[in-house]
Amino acid sequence: MKITLKIYRYNTEDGKPPHYDTFVVPDAEENDLVLDLLECVRGYQDGTLSFRRSCAHGICGSDAMRINGRNYLACKVLVKDLGTDQITIEPILGLPVLKDLIVDMNPFYEHYRSVLPFFMCPDDPVADGKERIQTPEERERYDDTTKCILCACCTTSCPSFWADGRYVGPAAIVNAHRFIFDNRDCGAEDRLNILNEQMGVWRCRTAFNCTEACPRDINITKAIADVKKAITTGKIE
Amino acid sequence: MSAFKTTLTGYARYRGREGQISFLLHRITGLGVLLFLTIHILDTATVYFFPSLYAHAIDIYRTTLFGVGEMGLIFCVIFHGVNGLRIAFADWFPNMKLWRITTERKSVLFTLAISVVLWLPTVGVMGFNILKHNYGLFGG
Repeated sequence: MKITLKIYRYNTEDGKPPHYDTFVVPDAEENDLVLDLLECVRGYQDGTLSFRRSCAHGICGSDAMRINGRNYLACKVLVKDLGTDQITIEPILGLPVLKDLIVDMNPFYEHYRSVLPFFMCPDDPVADGKERIQTPEERERYDDTTKCILCACCTTSCPSFWADGRYVGPAAIVNAHRFIFDNRDCGAEDRLNILNEQMGVWRCRTAFNCTEACPRDINITKAIADVKKAITTGKIE
Repeated sequence: MSAFKTTLTGYARYRGREGQISFLLHRITGLGVLLFLTIHILDTATVYFFPSLYAHAIDIYRTTLFGVGEMGLIFCVIFHGVNGLRIAFADWFPNMKLWRITTERKSVLFTLAISVVLWLPTVGVMGFNILKHNYGLFGG
């Protein structure tokens, strides 16, 4: 089947304003990934087309982009999933575009770092000196949020993040949730204080775009609600 | 891209599902109510600052255009309130099924349906009055 790709192009070095280029992939198949089509264009039609990719199996989270108006990983969406032979590909919203489909992820990573996404329990020696025992139920409490691959699909689909890039964003909250509800960790209070600030969880407007966009099927809006409730009640349940 | 332009691009072109539609409707209805409150404060202010204009302001309220606008206002108030209750209720019970994406989609449509059902009687009453007083129907 013939697929027409309309791709956002922007190069800070050539002085041209952002525009769209159209490419035709004549022999695509319905089970092709959108990433395959992009590789085909870059390999055979325009070697200057720039986009990130790495594992191509939905694990590394490099190739988040807006495909037909919605955030996806290009390596996880098939042509047949889109239900059309006209595909528009644009960079994710809210982060500065560096070139074509590549955005500057630094603001996103700064938000991630701001919620202290690491295990904190330095002054609590383990009883047997070997391991911190945790029941399956205790592990289950934050299992969903361990799946995040930091692709930024959620944060850049969030209307609150579009309006103000200082908002910490869904991905950072998900990663805070992963540690806040881990009963082996001792830093929950610090993280809840950070997320209780002006640019923290209260910017969430419950639009569910993040949950819809997550390629790992994390229930992000629920995780944000968990954090909101923990801040409000002062209890981590 | 400025935050304002990003926001408008996202609102207009990001293809979110029921949740984004609900978010946008909540914003639009909130702004609709705010617009009416502003107009209402201004026209009420004429009583004090320009008394001769007050009767004229009230006459404008009786026009068909304003009547239809007021029907829209009622929808704004009802939807904004019902949707706000849905969000507040869900926020307080994060462990409910309401947070599943499929349930959330249905809850948005349910909220919209409730809002329309609550709104229709108002449309009937206000529409009847417009037809009666402005067009002389129903013995007006």
